Amino acid sequence: MNSGARALGAGQASLFDAVPELLGAGPRVRGKKGAKPGPFVRPREVYSEAFVRPAAVPESLPAMRARLLNSARTRILILAMAFAALATVALVQIAWLGMDGPVRANRPSASTLIPPRGEITDRNGIPLAVAYPAYSLYFYPKAMDGSGDDPLVREPADLARELKAIFPDMDAEKVAKKLASGKGGYLRRRILPEEANAVWALGEPALQSPEILDRHYPQGRLASHVIGGVADDGETQAGTFGMEEALNAQLSDPELRATPSELSIDARVQGALEDEMNRGMKLAKADGAAGVVLDVDTGEVIAMASLPDFNPNRVSQEDAENVGNRVTFLRGELGSVFKPLTVAAGIDAGVITNLTRQWDASPVEVGGKTFYDFEDKGELLTIPEALAYSSNTVTMRVGDQLGGERLHQVWLDLGMDRPVEIEIKGTSTPLFPKAPWTPMTTQVAAFGHGFNVTPLHLANAYAAMVNGGIFRPATLKKVEPGQTVPGTRVFKASTSQKMRQLLRLVVKHGTGRNANAAATGFRVGGKTGSAEKFINGRYSTTRIIATFAAAFPMDRPRYVVVVALDEPKVTHAMAGRTAYFNAAPIVGNLIRRAGPMLGVRPDNTRDVDVSDLEYLLKDKK
Amino acid sequence: MMMTGTRLRQIGWGVLLGVCMAAFAVLSLTVHAVRNEVVLTDKQIVSLKKKRQLLETEFQARASQHQLARWNRVDLGFVAPRADQYLDGRKQLAMLGQGRGPDAPSPVRLARADGADASQFARREMVSPISGAPITLASLEGPEDGAGTLLAEAFGDLLIEASPIRTAKAQTGSSLTAEPVE
Repeated sequence: MNSGARALGAGQASLFDAVPELLGAGPRVRGKKGAKPGPFVRPREVYSEAFVRPAAVPESLPAMRARLLNSARTRILILAMAFAALATVALVQIAWLGMDGPVRANRPSASTLIPPRGEITDRNGIPLAVAYPAYSLYFYPKAMDGSGDDPLVREPADLARELKAIFPDMDAEKVAKKLASGKGGYLRRRILPEEANAVWALGEPALQSPEILDRHYPQGRLASHVIGGVADDGETQAGTFGMEEALNAQLSDPELRATPSELSIDARVQGALEDEMNRGMKLAKADGAAGVVLDVDTGEVIAMASLPDFNPNRVSQEDAENVGNRVTFLRGELGSVFKPLTVAAGIDAGVITNLTRQWDASPVEVGGKTFYDFEDKGELLTIPEALAYSSNTVTMRVGDQLGGERLHQVWLDLGMDRPVEIEIKGTSTPLFPKAPWTPMTTQVAAFGHGFNVTPLHLANAYAAMVNGGIFRPATLKKVEPGQTVPGTRVFKASTSQKMRQLLRLVVKHGTGRNANAAATGFRVGGKTGSAEKFINGRYSTTRIIATFAAAFPMDRPRYVVVVALDEPKVTHAMAGRTAYFNAAPIVGNLIRRAGPMLGVRPDNTRDVDVSDLEYLLKDKK
Repeated sequence: MMMTGTRLRQIGWGVLLGVCMAAFAVLSLTVHAVRNEVVLTDKQIVSLKKKRQLLETEFQARASQHQLARWNRVDLGFVAPRADQYLDGRKQLAMLGQGRGPDAPSPVRLARADGADASQFARREMVSPISGAPITLASLEGPEDGAGTLLAEAFGDLLIEASPIRTAKAQTGSSLTAEPVE
């Protein structure tokens, strides 16, 4: 290009040089005199190269006109070509967009709906833990100009004050410091939509409300101890306790998290259990309560509640103390509820062959101590009477005849010596005396003392006693219908049949009458237990654990219900502190509410035949 | 201007090619437009599903078991139905409100799964529901003479088949001689 310009002679004038004169304009001034022409000059010299002619030859006006016209056409052509090129590029782009385009790249698919952590549902598919897009409050200093030098419109202190007006529990000073530091980060992990709107109305571009997928528990406090909780570091969520922890691998696996994990819990029954326990606990002014509903054939936990509970959506300091699950953690001597198990062991071993036999019910002296019955019902009692009136002495004598070795073995078979088998952690290890058992240990263990277990141990044992004699560990995972759960035989099927009859008798005429009154037609059977707490080396007479263990319907048991109240009191509503007054009505009310949900219909025209035992009771009610 | 046939044919082929190209371009554009619509709809579906999830979660939170129980306690006061509010069928419905007749049997059916009892029940004799007199099936009854036995042996099964009375225990004379079925 430049070579062409250089080829021009000194005397040669370019077309452009001629134009001003032609138009009658004065000489052009371009920069300093003697300065090199700027780069924009060159093209004109280049373009004009083809159209110059020696200045020496005088040019006629038509020739000049033709020349100028020619050059104008050329310029138009060049311009048109440039436009054409542009248009071609645009067309190609349109065609490319039309044919293929970038849409394919950001094409959404169902995969975007897969949550970062799998859902947890109850046995009927009701969500218990979900990923929920919640607004958060984020400070993004680069929002204004990209540099982050002066991120805010207001002063940080003023802005912090205004934020405190929206979030009253916010620490204004801390936030002001954070805003002044110019470092981005979350000011709040979860805010409400109206709060997000209020923040937006402040007009600070650096305050943003991005949506983040948070772990949310739609049912709130329901089954909070079973579900557990997660720790969220902003990137990943990891279960810290409960089923969130037990199912962590499954819930965070990209392959598996699309399918919800089903628990064995039934949300409706769980709701009813918590509601009834809450009411019963308030009436009895108890410190706490534990309750469990167990399927006797599969070991599935249908409901498991521990009170006081906590809100997993916002665990406060006060709530944090209630995170322990009393069903698997509350350890105590549960007392008389173990008497039916001793009787079952007696029947199984052939120690009890005749239920009409009269047993000595006078006080028992063993190991230097004397044990009495809670209420004197006579010197001689039959086994049905001993259970209905909860006789310590007769059960001790049954235990004595059974012997330490055999009773110990039954207790081992029922898992009383080890932590209960279940998916969730936080189970306590029972305090269980080592073999060989002394007569004292044996006889005390026969009526549920001398060893500490949890309510779930008891529920498992009751399930084995009424389901035909098979012991199965409890599970919180749903067992599909038709799936068989392996178990070990602890009692004979015939023993189990007899126990159904005896337990029904206790509820019909004995200490469990209140449960029968509340759940008429459900054929409830069970046993109460009111065990004194062992505090500072002695048994307290006022501080007890009141337990009621029941099963229903007794003609074909399907569910076991165990409710234990921790230190119930005598109140205006409760005439006594034993399980007869508080725990039994809770179970009765629960069965009445939850029975139909579980497919058990109440029927007044159906019952377990206890006519051959009823006459044995002295003062049946 | 004159054109030769060859030239005309060439132009014709050119035009045809041009038309085909244009048609192809139009078709491709249409296809892609449809594809884009599908993608857009897909996006809308995903966004709607997300919204639905949000709403569902809100409904679940608002209608949680605890909230329902609270509403029931304060406003509604529903209680679980009593046993006598359940009816088994038309027969029970017809009997509703009718007092128990004199000497009527107890309406309560008692269950006891006991091996010994079950066998006892099985051995009980059939009785007439009206008179209470014991009944024996025609095929089982009969003089011990040869003709009766012969008849029963020959036609017993047929008679049982034809009889309006059906019993699982019905046996012919010939099978009676074999081991009794429990």
